[in-house]
Amino acid sequence: MPQKKISHDVILTILYHFTRLVMAGVFIYASIDKIIHPDLFAEAVYNYQVLPGYLVNLTALILPWLELTLGTCLLINRWMAGASALAAMLMALFVGLIIFNLARGLDISCGCFSTAPDEDPVTFLTLARDLVLLCLAWCLAGLTLYQNIRRYQPE
Amino acid sequence: MTVSSRPGQHFTNTARQAVFILMISLFVGAAVNLIRPDSIPFVDSWSMAEKLATENGGTMAISLSEAATLFEKDAAVFLDARSPAEYDQGHIQGAVNLPWHEVDNYFETVIMALDPEAMTITYCDGEACTLSHDLAALLKDLGFTRVKVLVNGWTLWQERQLPTNAPSS
Repeated sequence: MPQKKISHDVILTILYHFTRLVMAGVFIYASIDKIIHPDLFAEAVYNYQVLPGYLVNLTALILPWLELTLGTCLLINRWMAGASALAAMLMALFVGLIIFNLARGLDISCGCFSTAPDEDPVTFLTLARDLVLLCLAWCLAGLTLYQNIRRYQPE
Repeated sequence: MTVSSRPGQHFTNTARQAVFILMISLFVGAAVNLIRPDSIPFVDSWSMAEKLATENGGTMAISLSEAATLFEKDAAVFLDARSPAEYDQGHIQGAVNLPWHEVDNYFETVIMALDPEAMTITYCDGEACTLSHDLAALLKDLGFTRVKVLVNGWTLWQERQLPTNAPSS
């Protein structure tokens, strides 16, 4: 029995670090082009047509840094509770927005990893990719919760 | 640490760390935008009407009914700023495809053949589609005198069931 428990823990730890590093890479990579081109990213945000005009630039200025900051937290394994929860919420938001705009039939660029207007159109493939990332993000948030709770357990 | 406080502790940590991360992002994002040379305004209006405003207070936008009247009289050239693939799926009858993203490739074949004095109406698809006014702005710079933008043109044109060229199958 103890052996089984150990292997179970090892798998969870590996899964935790795997999802942590994947999500770190995704968020950091996604932030870079947006930080370099705030004007183009603002256009991508505007094209989603969900925010009032006065919030478009603010979102375009803050969101990439949020992605970079939480990606860095995930990478260095610090503030994992907050970073993993934010990652899970952001991914849920992104998936929601993609579904919303696919349903509306809006032909827009994703602005997910690149700000170039015609490089990254929103398709069902985008949705599939983001659903996988959403699963990983939720998995990571769950594993972080599990680890934090276990840490306080006696023995 | 009591057993019952463990999940509570985790959620307090989560909230506190999330607020920290948000505040760092807010601060760094704002600070970087203040010092970088190519900064953007923190608040911008992003309204379509403003984007289409001309220097002398007029607008480049044209209403669907005006455009339809010009179409009936054959008094305007319609330019489709969307991609060739979208154009092939259907377009305003007689419209010329001038994809904004490949505009350089069409310079000699399409733009040089146009009459800069003629009424020219650009369109693409969707309220927020900016291809048509990017194209209109370029044409104006090139010396076209009567350029108009039919905002959300393809959708409106179809809704009004005006003449189109269906996909060539």
